[in-house]
Amino acid sequence: MRLRRLLAVLFLALPAFSQVDPGPRGGTADAGGPLPSVAANNPVTILDFFDNGKEEFEAINSVFGTIPGAPDPGLGPRFNALGCARCHAHPAVGGTSPATNPQVADATAAGATNTIPSFITATGPVREVRFKYFTDAAGNPITTQPNGGVMPLYTIAGRSDASTCTTTYIQQPNFAVAVAKNNVSFRIPTPLFGLGLIENIDEGTLQRGIGGSPYPVGGTFNRSPNDGTISRFGWKAQNKSLELFAGEAYNVEQGVSNELFPQERPHPEENRDGMNALDPRCLLNPTPEDHTNFNAPADETPSDTVLFAIFMRLLAPPVQNLGNPVTNPNFSRALNGSNIFIDIGCGSCHREKFLTAQSSITPDLGNQYARLFSDLQLHHMGTGLADNIQQGNAGGDQFRTAPLWGLGKRRFFLHDGRTSNLVTAITAHQSAGSDANPVILNYLALSASDKQDLIYFLRSL
Amino acid sequence: MPLLLLLLWLSQATLVPEGEILVKGAVPSASDASTPVPEEGRIGEGRYRNAYFGLTYPVPAGWIEQPAGPPPSEAGSYVLTQFALLDGERVKAHVLVSAQDLFFVPFEAAGSKDVVARMRTMVQEQYAFEKGPDQVTIAGRTFERLAYKGRRAKLHWRMFTTETRCHALTFTFTGSDTAALDAAEKALGQVVLGGDAPACVNGYARDHLVQRTTPAFQQRYNTIPVRVIIDAEGKVKHAHLLSAFPEQSEPILKALRDWRFQPYVVAGKAAEVETGLVFGRPPSRVAP
Repeated sequence: MRLRRLLAVLFLALPAFSQVDPGPRGGTADAGGPLPSVAANNPVTILDFFDNGKEEFEAINSVFGTIPGAPDPGLGPRFNALGCARCHAHPAVGGTSPATNPQVADATAAGATNTIPSFITATGPVREVRFKYFTDAAGNPITTQPNGGVMPLYTIAGRSDASTCTTTYIQQPNFAVAVAKNNVSFRIPTPLFGLGLIENIDEGTLQRGIGGSPYPVGGTFNRSPNDGTISRFGWKAQNKSLELFAGEAYNVEQGVSNELFPQERPHPEENRDGMNALDPRCLLNPTPEDHTNFNAPADETPSDTVLFAIFMRLLAPPVQNLGNPVTNPNFSRALNGSNIFIDIGCGSCHREKFLTAQSSITPDLGNQYARLFSDLQLHHMGTGLADNIQQGNAGGDQFRTAPLWGLGKRRFFLHDGRTSNLVTAITAHQSAGSDANPVILNYLALSASDKQDLIYFLRSL
Repeated sequence: MPLLLLLLWLSQATLVPEGEILVKGAVPSASDASTPVPEEGRIGEGRYRNAYFGLTYPVPAGWIEQPAGPPPSEAGSYVLTQFALLDGERVKAHVLVSAQDLFFVPFEAAGSKDVVARMRTMVQEQYAFEKGPDQVTIAGRTFERLAYKGRRAKLHWRMFTTETRCHALTFTFTGSDTAALDAAEKALGQVVLGGDAPACVNGYARDHLVQRTTPAFQQRYNTIPVRVIIDAEGKVKHAHLLSAFPEQSEPILKALRDWRFQPYVVAGKAAEVETGLVFGRPPSRVAP
């Protein structure tokens, strides 16, 4: 009774205000541990693989693995950060951008002489950058030649472990000109919690999600060009499996060649004519730099890439945290917000859950509801969010519905981390050509109180 | 000064434009620009006009056009237009005009009544029904009506669906201001719909094809729905690809020029007919 009275007073006292994002939820991380059946070591030794995967995920790379504190070899010659967990860090290892951007420190680690681009700041989001178009010698975009590939921020030039690779032989792309020409688009790291559940949703289950909305929200799946099956990882659902996701990231973000992407990667402009223009003086290791360890104990035999995939696969999903119903004044409002979320149609694309298939790996990957809040389909997001990058069947304004689990802890939103404000992120879904337009009009038709309840709900995820 | 202006112009000329979708994925395209297609409605003089549907919809007074919808989906879903009545930043009410191509609908639907019945099934758990589904006559046409409200969100939805050219055409009014919704519903009485259009027959192309050339297009595992108008001689007079990549559209349109069908006959006389075809991946179907 007292609680009800308190809530009534709070409700009546609600001022006529615009919505406020209370910011990242405090308290425990509510993410980062293994699935319960993995923690219970079912099957036997799986916990060792998870722990080894996490250890490798947290490891720092250097060129030869000889720098103190950076024991993993293979860094560069181009890279975005020194290790996976540098960026996948918040609110726990496996998450996304932390409060302090590690890319600032990584630019000059071990004596590297990189210039930090204007869009990388100490308190801003971790970012990778792509050029929308190839450029001419002056850096002008050639609008008949879409680029779209990642342009790594940094090189190993100047590092103490890369003496032959100097700025004479490798240079950073000219980001200042690219920014001035509006030829850049950004991506922030996607959180990795619960990805094993997403990987284990049957295709038929996903397809049955089509047409389940009262709104004409469209939607289509991105598909593997190899076999036509649904791909589901990455901002544009461009990656088919966690192994591919890990292998590509190791190669692109840290410059580590591996068994899935065996060569050192030039940036797209260096490779424009099909000629890998990386200078031999910067190619310092035999390839692939990361590979199966044939003479190691069983749980250390897999390559780093495979261990990363195992770590991601076995990470538990984030836990929704509504707080204590007595001490959290917004508890009931968040519950109301969960109904508002469905009422106005957010769940048309941010579909609450899918049942996973049987799992051959560990019990808690099979026959479980993955409460990811995503249909894993590509949707048009309009002119306001278009990044003009094509990946597979995803066009310049199409993105995979971003899973919302773990949203309550996030510091940065949308594919490029352009905002830290959840309210701004919601309204950014509305622009010419967006599938979300009818739903955002519903949101804008809500009372101020209902809108705020929706924010409280989202911050509970 | 002229040199400075020239340099300024040159620098601007090489800027990648902001707020445009430059790299398109699957998009609609057509064999010619003169035949109307559903996604090409126009707004002017207080009216939304759509030549394909022969639709003139008088926008309720004070309602403002909203951002354009996405391109048609590969399941044949269109967002034709949206208008809203604003009170400061808050939307008092809005209307969504949408269409579902009945040739490509991802569930069993013989007509607009089935589309509305499915809608009712989808919303029944979350919403409270206020009216329908029932039939009402508006501007001399039969509409399926379905009205419901949110259980938590204090919003009402009023849907009116009619069938035209084998599409379920729907007007959805949403908002918390019932007076505004009443006014908008009343304005729907002035809608004009219909006009000269060929008969539309589902499956006609499949059942009456006599000659075809297989188009050689890049396989992307996407579904490519195509509306065609077949002339009285059995040739493709017009083709509208609802969703295809540009490198797919060209070979498909080229191949369709060689396709031949048995002419559609009405009262002993050959006539034009509109029907649907699908290239690429067969459309996804969802369970009833």
